[in-house]
Amino acid sequence: MRRFLLCTAAMAALSWSSFAHAQTVIELQRFFGACEADYGKVTDVSSAVGECGIITSLINKFGADNPDIDVNVTTVEWPGYDQLNAQLASGAAPDVVSIHYSAISDYQARGLIEPVDEILAAQGIDPASFTDAARSGVTKEGQMFGLPFDNWTMLFHVNLNLMKEAGLVNADGTPILPKSIDEFFAQGKQFKEKTGKPYLVQILANETAVYARMLYTFLQQQNSDFFADPTKIKLMTPEARNVVEFMKRINDEGLTTPGLDYAAAVSAFANGAGGIAVNGTWLIGDYVAQSEKSDTALAGGYTVYPVPQLFPERDSTYADGHAWVLPKKDRTAEQTAALGKLFKFLAENDFQWARTGHLPAVKAVFDMPEFKALPFRDNIAKIAETGRSLPAEVQRQFAIQDIIGDEIGAAINGDKSVDDALESAESRINDLLANI
Amino acid sequence: MSRDQSTYRPETLTASRPLLWIAALLSVVMMAPVAWLVGLSIKNNRELMLGTESVFRLPYTLVNYVNILHSSQAFGWFFNSMIVAIGQTIGVLVLSSLAGYAFARLEFPLRRTIFVIVLFGLAVPEQAVIIARHQMFNWFGLHNSHLGLMLPGMSSAFGVFLMTQFFRAIPKEIDEAALLDNASQWRIFWKIMLPLTLPAQATLGIFTFLHAWNDYWWPLISATKKEMYTLTIGIASSQTNFAQSEGLGFLSAQAVFASLPVLIVYIFFQRHIVTAVSGGAVK
Amino acid sequence: MAESYRRGHPGHALFILPYLTAFVVLLAFPLFWSIWLSLHKVDLFGPGRFVGLTNYTRVLADPVFLQAFRNTILFVALSVPTLVALGLFLALALNRTTRTTSFFRGLFFSSSVLSVTIVTLIWRFVFIPRDGLIPVIFEQLGLQPINFLSTSGWSLFAVGVATVWWCLGLPMMLFLAALQQIPADLYEAAALDNASPWRVLRRITLPSIARTIMLVTIIQIVMQFQLFGQAQLMTNGGPNGTSRPLVMYIYETGFIRWDVGKGAAASELLFLIILCAAMVQYIISTRKPEVRE
Repeated sequence: MRRFLLCTAAMAALSWSSFAHAQTVIELQRFFGACEADYGKVTDVSSAVGECGIITSLINKFGADNPDIDVNVTTVEWPGYDQLNAQLASGAAPDVVSIHYSAISDYQARGLIEPVDEILAAQGIDPASFTDAARSGVTKEGQMFGLPFDNWTMLFHVNLNLMKEAGLVNADGTPILPKSIDEFFAQGKQFKEKTGKPYLVQILANETAVYARMLYTFLQQQNSDFFADPTKIKLMTPEARNVVEFMKRINDEGLTTPGLDYAAAVSAFANGAGGIAVNGTWLIGDYVAQSEKSDTALAGGYTVYPVPQLFPERDSTYADGHAWVLPKKDRTAEQTAALGKLFKFLAENDFQWARTGHLPAVKAVFDMPEFKALPFRDNIAKIAETGRSLPAEVQRQFAIQDIIGDEIGAAINGDKSVDDALESAESRINDLLANI
Repeated sequence: MSRDQSTYRPETLTASRPLLWIAALLSVVMMAPVAWLVGLSIKNNRELMLGTESVFRLPYTLVNYVNILHSSQAFGWFFNSMIVAIGQTIGVLVLSSLAGYAFARLEFPLRRTIFVIVLFGLAVPEQAVIIARHQMFNWFGLHNSHLGLMLPGMSSAFGVFLMTQFFRAIPKEIDEAALLDNASQWRIFWKIMLPLTLPAQATLGIFTFLHAWNDYWWPLISATKKEMYTLTIGIASSQTNFAQSEGLGFLSAQAVFASLPVLIVYIFFQRHIVTAVSGGAVK
Repeated sequence: MAESYRRGHPGHALFILPYLTAFVVLLAFPLFWSIWLSLHKVDLFGPGRFVGLTNYTRVLADPVFLQAFRNTILFVALSVPTLVALGLFLALALNRTTRTTSFFRGLFFSSSVLSVTIVTLIWRFVFIPRDGLIPVIFEQLGLQPINFLSTSGWSLFAVGVATVWWCLGLPMMLFLAALQQIPADLYEAAALDNASPWRVLRRITLPSIARTIMLVTIIQIVMQFQLFGQAQLMTNGGPNGTSRPLVMYIYETGFIRWDVGKGAAASELLFLIILCAAMVQYIISTRKPEVRE
């Protein structure tokens, strides 16, 4: 009874407020965390730092610019798909949701999200204004199913101080990075001998996604069409074996820190545990901040590059990204218009988001002087062209990542032979894809 | 005689000094991680990112706790968690005591059969029912409500099993005497039996409260509106995906903040167990 | 047995009616629904297609399921006896009401109040290479460091240590409650015989709480079979799936892969496994001759 009364009161209050202001309410659901303590009222986006700060102040700014639109933000724990699935299953989905490119095909194939082409057209947003990597991330069956927001990849974060010690720095101060597998091991060995530390700092425990991202990257570099048929992966190939044997050899020759999980790998690199951290775009800001302090291992000696081309066929890096999608539901014309305005606002302010370290989804941002002035962005800007995701039709990419992580991890650890691991990964993935 | 009794109180026979010393040693192992957590919670995030050994150095700060209190929704989540945990605890205590008493001390048709079926319920993993439950609650419009968060826990067979065992342990002479006085079953239950099971009630109460407080899966998929988040879900939702490396201090402070109420509830209940028992109720 | 006073009376069933309603509506009905789902090829969002027992054959032919099954059995077989023994030991050690013992009781219970996220966060600090507590100690002692969270065998062990640490409070409290219900006159008689403490423990204390030992064991079996959060957060089931428990398999199948039918089939199998394990334990412990009944 009390609940009923409360509900009635709440509904009365709600209807009163919507009557009084004729507000259009849109429900936005996202990850990236909550930071109201620092950014609850901030509308000056340029003063914000970090994913959470920037997205919070962006939405605040949008609300301030559009007093007739109420954006009701719900934050969910990363990546939030369990919650989204529950909402979709009970017909209570929010209006707009943050999502990974790699998850879009699942929802699109099941008819759970809507194409956004019309909404973008109505706001005069040209699909060609997005980078190829971003646009292909959200495009399924010729339609765009979300507003691309960024691209992210694995990078080589370099500790220049240690590289100097190892004699792996050019005269112009840039690091000497390998251009082939042989060079990789030669330089790695040299690094280890001169510094006594492992060449790479890798995430090898708990998180499985990194194995998959590196495998995809090096398969792409060999032009291996491992997903020629999007419902069937091919891993029993010489190309895949090359990659896994390469990754295993890194481990066997002691060129990597062993057994670190994500958090440990992040702090290990910051503390000078190894020369090159293989980790994501999002860490650039933190490492830059540490290189600007005098008492850290990275002091005055940090830079970052894309994962180098180690196979001769093609320069490529596996890229994923964040997008905003619209779950299928009934919306008023006002709500649709409001979502269009929000999309336009987010696209126009993509530079602000690119300050997080992610690569912009909007082409024009790459030419902005402000963007070029951001640290090391010219080093990694080429990922807009070399970044590739899996074919658009491949579903259950998160589950596939888990399987690859399981199996390749086992091969690298020596729990399984490389061939067994690849065979087992292939059959598990194909069983998964055959049963969608 | 009274001298003998005080010398051979049951506890003196079991709780000897060497045992206590071993327990004290174990407690160090128990507590070290918790102390570590509290230490982390009073350090600056930036400092921890470089290395956690800075816990042993000044400066310390309360900024992480201040940040929690600044988050406008923390109190709402706290309130939701309280309502859900208290409601579920009361529900479980009432249902389990009634059923446990009947299963242990009363005779009615199909008693044994029903009891065995209920025991089967003990073996049902949450994952086996959660999807069906989610759909069912959807029909009844129970999602995003306190009632919807409380109800699933009340079906747990654990409490019934526990209370049945405890009611069985009470000597039969006690209600036999009452029956001779022609007391009704309800009266016997309420006036005589229930007070005797206070230690069990307290134990079950604490664990139901704990379970409800720390529950994750059901609130995650049932309470999807941020106004209805419980503290567990709310805290998880406010973390960035890099919290373990970037926001360790804040994360630890949230953990301490979320655990305190339960610890207080425990201390409160523990006092009641002690009074119930040292009152000599079972004598 | 003096059954005479318990006149069988249908009205007595009213005592169980409230719980039974909750049981049928919130547990039994969803369980049958889930069995129904397990016979379908279905995802989270809509009506499926009846496929008979296909999901069960798929689960049973899945090497990952079988591996998870072995992991879970191993985990239960090691963690449950540890929890029961340690819980009993602590209860015996703390079975009197002084300030010191209340303090220790609170202390040993305190880990139970933490949520699984925090428990795993804490134990990660203990096990993680380089900065972790154990690697630091190993280094001091000049031992070869072990990557606990990423070495086959050790990863499940690490999950087990965290679990025992987290779950110890309940067994301890249940044993304490039982110890305090032992009538004092039993001990008085033993005192007159000048029995040794060890003899008292074996002849009086343990038989008196036999029922509780059974209860705690069954509860722990049921709980530890449902291991999930610790493994997911500490090791993510790795390496090579050696610490993946059954519930994690169910979660991955139903929620990550949206293969709800197969996930439901696996969860019905888990239900059967737990049921068997609990029944075996129940039969074994009720067959033992009890001193007091």
